[in-house]
Amino acid sequence: MEKKLPHICPSCSSELNVQSLVCSNCATLVSGEFGLPLLARFTPEEQAFIIDFVKSSGSLKVMAQKLNLSYPSVRNLLDDLIVKIENNEKPSNPSK
Amino acid sequence: MKKWLFNPFIYVAGWQALGLGLLLMAITCVIAFFSQTHFDGGIDVHFGAGFPLLVCALEQLNAWLSTVIVFSAAGFILSKSAIRIIDIAGTMALARVPMILAAVIGFVPALHQVDLNHISANFLIWSLIALLFSIWMIALMYNAFTVSCNVKGNKAVVGFIVSIILAEILSKIMIVQVYHHFLPK
Repeated sequence: MEKKLPHICPSCSSELNVQSLVCSNCATLVSGEFGLPLLARFTPEEQAFIIDFVKSSGSLKVMAQKLNLSYPSVRNLLDDLIVKIENNEKPSNPSK
Repeated sequence: MKKWLFNPFIYVAGWQALGLGLLLMAITCVIAFFSQTHFDGGIDVHFGAGFPLLVCALEQLNAWLSTVIVFSAAGFILSKSAIRIIDIAGTMALARVPMILAAVIGFVPALHQVDLNHISANFLIWSLIALLFSIWMIALMYNAFTVSCNVKGNKAVVGFIVSIILAEILSKIMIVQVYHHFLPK
């Protein structure tokens, strides 16, 4: 079974942070509070879209063929992701 | 299936939709010529006298172009996306597909025998069926607008209502010119 990385608190729906990281080789445990990287905050489908988009050299036409969707549908998915990225960036740059 | 009936634009847009849409409009035009059905506005369907084939073709072009012009303008005003006119033109052409069925029911004699003092049940039933095809086309046009222009929510609903009214007005202005210049006097 593939585990999904949760990024939203099931109790209050806030963003989750990472409290500990473990070395898969020597089991060293690092403890603290780390924010999740931007990409990890996206859903698995959104992450797959971003990876496919990069693999397609950023071509919406290639993406449309790959996903069997029309060009504007793929562009709309990308635009929705851009809005999500911009919204995610806002709290980390309050001075801007 | 529901998506293909009401929002095929998720899968088909651009040149592909334009080619298919224009082909279906040409078929509609030929059927409408024989069934004496008229598309004299952006969303209009009427049954009446026979017109020359050229006028039937110009009716189709007028109905389609008026929506393309107005929805393109609305898209550039309302959308933040890099929209393409070819997507609006293609999806709006494909959205007219239910008009083939409207042209086919134009062969029903009851739709041409209108006596305003004695409206038959047959006339009412077939008129309602024609209305259903128009509603289907409007639903397709709404989805064509939202997909090709990437507008959502209230902005999409209000933008669509205003645009469809403006497209109807524009189509009526243009069709008057078509009838004036191309109908035999």
